[in-house]
Amino acid sequence: MQSMLAFALQLLIFPGIIFLLFMAFFFEWIDRKVVARIQNRYGPLYTGMSGILQPLADFIKLLSKEDLMPESADKMIFTLTPLLSFSLVLTALFLFPMASSRAIISFEGDLVFLIFVLTLTILNSALAGYGSASPYSIIGGVRSALQMIGYEIPLAISLAGPAFSAESLSISGIVEWQASRGLWMILLQPLGFIVSTACLLAELEMIPFDIPEAETEIVAGWMTEFSGRKLALFRVSKDLKMLLASSLLASLYLGGAQPLGLAPPIIVFLAKSIFMLLLMSLLRALFARFRIDQMISGMWKYLIPLAILQVMLVCLGVGRIK
Amino acid sequence: MYSDALTLLPVIFTLSFTLGLAIYVFGGRLSVKGGGEKGAKSVPYACGENPPEETRINLERFFVFAVYFLIFDVFAFMIAVSSSAYWILPLFYALITLMAIATYLITGRNM
Repeated sequence: MQSMLAFALQLLIFPGIIFLLFMAFFFEWIDRKVVARIQNRYGPLYTGMSGILQPLADFIKLLSKEDLMPESADKMIFTLTPLLSFSLVLTALFLFPMASSRAIISFEGDLVFLIFVLTLTILNSALAGYGSASPYSIIGGVRSALQMIGYEIPLAISLAGPAFSAESLSISGIVEWQASRGLWMILLQPLGFIVSTACLLAELEMIPFDIPEAETEIVAGWMTEFSGRKLALFRVSKDLKMLLASSLLASLYLGGAQPLGLAPPIIVFLAKSIFMLLLMSLLRALFARFRIDQMISGMWKYLIPLAILQVMLVCLGVGRIK
Repeated sequence: MYSDALTLLPVIFTLSFTLGLAIYVFGGRLSVKGGGEKGAKSVPYACGENPPEETRINLERFFVFAVYFLIFDVFAFMIAVSSSAYWILPLFYALITLMAIATYLITGRNM
């Protein structure tokens, strides 16, 4: 009974849902603030200490707005896609070891499950664009599906690199392997790290690859028709995805949740994933948007050969420790 | 520790979906209700212009990538599960796949 209760608390509060939601808002705040400072703006300023509550305030504001649905939209798809995108990303976040070296859910093959969920969220957004039956939304949805053709393969290949080295297809297993060897995967597979960072930027639809929601061309892409509570759910799921991408990089390449001296694993883990978030925000602030054909052919021309090269190096035994 | 993934995964997904649904319903309570007259609100957004009759999207030039996508997806999972194989097999497989890309880079026209 006692352990049941402790487990429910774990699921709902600490490394669970409430903690993840607040971290997602916190990560959005960091991202917005850093990008604003790089661009010589102030960023969020008034709500809370230097605007730290601004993402939460935005969320509540969106909830209180009128929820519009275009007459031509597919009612079921239009209602279901925000819910699905929220719950899929939230489920995937339970696969990461945060508070201890084992995640709440870990099984052999959860890395493959994670890639599957990432693909599903993109298909979900393509479906959302298709279901809202507006020209901008349809173009945005098609672009997001096209973009997936570009980055899905290098992402999967480069994430297979750590799995290949650690001989484990589970994220917790890879983290434990790094902890037991006492070194980080980024030192062994720097190429894979670069490729997966670029692909995760595309996954998050961040600036060099924000083609599906290019503001200046197609309003808000596949999100154009969503408003009110549906847009709020999409925004939260995007923040959760930001948390997911940075914890993926931190877990697979930076050693993830290991205790370091007196610091408990959760602090180390958050420090590493915030560092990864800062890297992604910096890239977002530095670059300009690619065109869709540049993006896809660039991915196939440069990133996939790089990812395969990384795998071949690992096969040859470069940076492979028994 | 409850680590039985097959029961835990659906439970967590249901939990997250319920939370999303709760936010959705709560947002419905909280939100402003529009009047009976909808007018332009129910028309797709088109920057004040009349929306075009049909949207044309040219996907032909991306067809090759879609076909390659199907092949390479298999490659990624083969690599991920081949860690216990003798080292020359995955290496050889990766070489073949790399040659597939090289072929396209040499012969492809619109890259």
